[in-house]
Amino acid sequence: MIKNYLKIAFRNLIRHKAFSVINVTGLAIGIASCLLLFTVVKYELSYDKFQPNYNQIYHVITQDKTSDGLSYTPGVPFPTLEALRLDFPQITSGALLANYGSQVTVLGKNASNATPDKKFIEETGFFFCDPQFFKVFSYEWMAGTPSVLSEPNVTVLTQKIADKYFGNWKYAIGQYLKLDNAVTVKVSGILKDIPANTDFPLAVVTSYETAKANNNVYFYSEFWGAITSNFQVFMLLPKNISADKINTQLLAFSEKHFGDRKRGERINFLQPLSNIHFDQRFENFGDHVTAKSTLWTLSLIAIFIIIMACINFINLSTAQAVGRSKEIGIRKVLGGYRWQLFFQVIGETAIIVFTSVLFALAIAMLGLPFIKHIASIQEPLGFFNLQTVVFVFLLMVFVTILAGLYPALVLSGFKPALALKNKITSATVGGISLRRGLVITQFAISQILIIGTIVAIAQMNYVRNADLGFNKEAVLIINANADSVVHSRQLSYKQMLLQMPGVKSVSFSSDVPSSNSNSATNFGFDHKPDPDFALYTKYADEDYFKTFGLQMLAGRPFDKSDTIHEVVVNETLMKKLGIKNPGEMVGKEIMIKSNSNVWTKITGVVKDFKTNSLKEDVKPLAISEMREYYGVTSVKLISSNIKKTKTDVEAAWNKSYPEYAFTSSYMDDNIADFYKQDEQLSLLYKIFAGIAIFISCLGLYGLVSFMAVQRTKEIGIRKVLGASIQNIIYLFSKEFTILILAGSLVAVPVAWYIMSNWLQNFVFGIKMNWVVFAIAIVFSIVVAWLAVGYKSIKAAMANPVKSLRSE
Amino acid sequence: MLQLKNIYKWVNTGSNRTFLLKDINLLIKQGEFLSVMGPSGSGKSTLLNVLGMLDDANEGEYIFMDQDVLKLKEKQRSEIYKTHIGFVFQAYHLIDELTVYENIETPLIYQNIKSAERKAMVADILDRFQIVGKKDLFPTNLSGGQQQLVGIARALIVKPKLILADEPTGNLNSKQGEEIMNIFKELNSEGVTIVQVTHSEKNAAYGSRIIHLLDGRIEKES
Repeated sequence: MIKNYLKIAFRNLIRHKAFSVINVTGLAIGIASCLLLFTVVKYELSYDKFQPNYNQIYHVITQDKTSDGLSYTPGVPFPTLEALRLDFPQITSGALLANYGSQVTVLGKNASNATPDKKFIEETGFFFCDPQFFKVFSYEWMAGTPSVLSEPNVTVLTQKIADKYFGNWKYAIGQYLKLDNAVTVKVSGILKDIPANTDFPLAVVTSYETAKANNNVYFYSEFWGAITSNFQVFMLLPKNISADKINTQLLAFSEKHFGDRKRGERINFLQPLSNIHFDQRFENFGDHVTAKSTLWTLSLIAIFIIIMACINFINLSTAQAVGRSKEIGIRKVLGGYRWQLFFQVIGETAIIVFTSVLFALAIAMLGLPFIKHIASIQEPLGFFNLQTVVFVFLLMVFVTILAGLYPALVLSGFKPALALKNKITSATVGGISLRRGLVITQFAISQILIIGTIVAIAQMNYVRNADLGFNKEAVLIINANADSVVHSRQLSYKQMLLQMPGVKSVSFSSDVPSSNSNSATNFGFDHKPDPDFALYTKYADEDYFKTFGLQMLAGRPFDKSDTIHEVVVNETLMKKLGIKNPGEMVGKEIMIKSNSNVWTKITGVVKDFKTNSLKEDVKPLAISEMREYYGVTSVKLISSNIKKTKTDVEAAWNKSYPEYAFTSSYMDDNIADFYKQDEQLSLLYKIFAGIAIFISCLGLYGLVSFMAVQRTKEIGIRKVLGASIQNIIYLFSKEFTILILAGSLVAVPVAWYIMSNWLQNFVFGIKMNWVVFAIAIVFSIVVAWLAVGYKSIKAAMANPVKSLRSE
Repeated sequence: MLQLKNIYKWVNTGSNRTFLLKDINLLIKQGEFLSVMGPSGSGKSTLLNVLGMLDDANEGEYIFMDQDVLKLKEKQRSEIYKTHIGFVFQAYHLIDELTVYENIETPLIYQNIKSAERKAMVADILDRFQIVGKKDLFPTNLSGGQQQLVGIARALIVKPKLILADEPTGNLNSKQGEEIMNIFKELNSEGVTIVQVTHSEKNAAYGSRIIHLLDGRIEKES
């Protein structure tokens, strides 16, 4: 019996080639999209799951309550680590101190090698930690043990990094490196490479003692008032101790150590490791945080697409059902039970789905490198793992049931007496209103995706072209260490640069105007009690304002100096302090507590510029001078001949700082990097919205070609009665246009809701207006017309004599 | 073999009730060859559908081999016609997607007969109707007469006690029709009960008994 079913299923597939192609194409693309999205979502969910203590590791977060709500920092003050170990002796606590853009110079076997030839800049992966960190997190050691990290001037490398530095990791042990041109360390351990799906991308791990001993380079400080997000503490809770219990105890801990603040103003609490990759309130050491909502959106898109492909199948099969009624009737008369026929139709569906899965696998294989690129997944991914195979199997069952159930019920339910007399027409099949409903659903879904895509693109354009309050064009940023060697040559380097015709101005600073790295501190103002919010600080020289085109609202930039001497504050700080007139600020005094307990004069108020990405508010900011913090060199170029100037700048650098590697980037690229993930997401939306539209048009095309056949006679009669070609085309397009409009009634409110939620991610966002919705509706109507156009024109042009004669 | 008692069948169109069959009483004995005649719309096909259990009567009693058909469940009913009744249609109703061989085999599949046995049975019947050479062709490649031959072969494969034929020669030319009627006659002589619906006096004459229907009633019997 099964053989018989298979046979007839295959013959049906071949006989109705057009429908089979539409069905298989739609399902294959749908299944492939599902598979790719599943792979991406699965990968994101797998972050750090390889840690054996995954469910027991917690991250200590700092929360500040200020007059305008709660703010969070993933870091803690440096003394917190020791204090936690004292106050929670039963719990293992470990910490990581990250340093970005560190330079590693390979000295080799000779620690006092004066002419090293290999220098590397490690943008990420450069950490300090003590041996306890490796009790919290588990890694495989190829050589050495965690205990080597209890000594100062000791470094552990991962295999890959050791290969990069020394050619082969096996020779690395015992050789020397120079970190940031300041500290000579000995390689004493090798870690097996860390998987890419981690938010702790360890590469160069140096003992914490080294950072402590070199606080001029790595900013270690015993001060409880300053926090950097680069220093994060992790706790391994024993199984019998709950996070809630520790959180309660942490309240007392915070009160004890942050006692100089108001009660509850600054507290610590635990964030589970399983949350680190997903909670957008906190940054992590990895390159991105993916909101769970994003993963939900992607899963939802996958479900949408597969539903649309199933809808095509249902539509075409029920439309075709009329043609198959005779066969079903005969089979019933010959003794087939309803359930046998039911399973015959389900079986045929299963064959189509299976064929589609084969094609889908091929499509997914082709699409995988592309998707990996968009989702910035470095890990090799494949489909031949247990989870994916199970997923594909379940998907196959699900799609077969979803797509096959209704047509199977309809077909197997035919009354044989009617079926044999050809009395089954599309009207008696009854699916017309159902089919209309399904087409409406399809168009609603694709319009939601279109609207989502348009809004995402518009927002990204807005972000790209937004007025940041400073000039980001043609500014070359060079990162280096803020060490004394660098500082000693800065002025001569500046002179070299200023002599180049392509350079407009040069500024040294701790930070660029818009960046993700922030340092905040408590502060005093105007000899009054400390305000209850944190002050963000940037340190820069007197040319900072000129280089970035910052505008003063009142007063003037500070004079040239090497230490804090005068301060410029921003508009936001002024407003937060309750002062309306910028002139009033000038001449008042401010005390930046992380730095010195000295009152310093405010010389000017700078007009607000975006201190962070557009996802965050402008922070209250003080800009002052402190040469020892200057690691960033900003060079404003004249826009002609930028390439040549850049080469000159680099040459000058290598002359001034032969021992320092040159790394540079353009300010506008750096800003674009803030939104990399959003750009990637909007690209994903674009692609899958495109796929959704394609699938729904495919279905529409199938439906129209079917209708054209069904209505041949009607069209013939109408033409004989005098209908023009336009009349006939109108007849066809009218119905679909109405269906699409009905779909948009559903789509518009849903899309509005979803996208206004998304836009809330951005403090500075676009407003959605009716134009977006109008574009989406018009677009889908035009695309649908194109899809049905060919078929309806063909039907309209057909010679009525032929179609009527054949009856 | 079967008996219809006071059979009524109607459809409601709006407030009107249109009778398709009115008070039909009919006894068909084993081995009979009954021809049903009557003008279009007189209820011939409806009667045949009721006999074949493809359609229910609204009122009355239908006894088939001592069982009250109208009181049976759908499943039991299809069990009966699966094993006892063969259908032959005016439009042949072969499955276009299956070959001649497979079309004939299909009823056996639904009776869960083993593959080897099926082969033998199909081979027998192909042989009997001399269509062995056509077994791998699809219905669309056959002439009308040949298609009807396959239709009859398919009806006979389950060795039914009763064959219901709805204008079996209606789409055939006279020579082909004559051949088909001769086959029916031969079958009847082998003991198969046959009920045929026909427009043609000549074909009706092959039957041992003729009934005439008019507006859903049995008008006369001869």
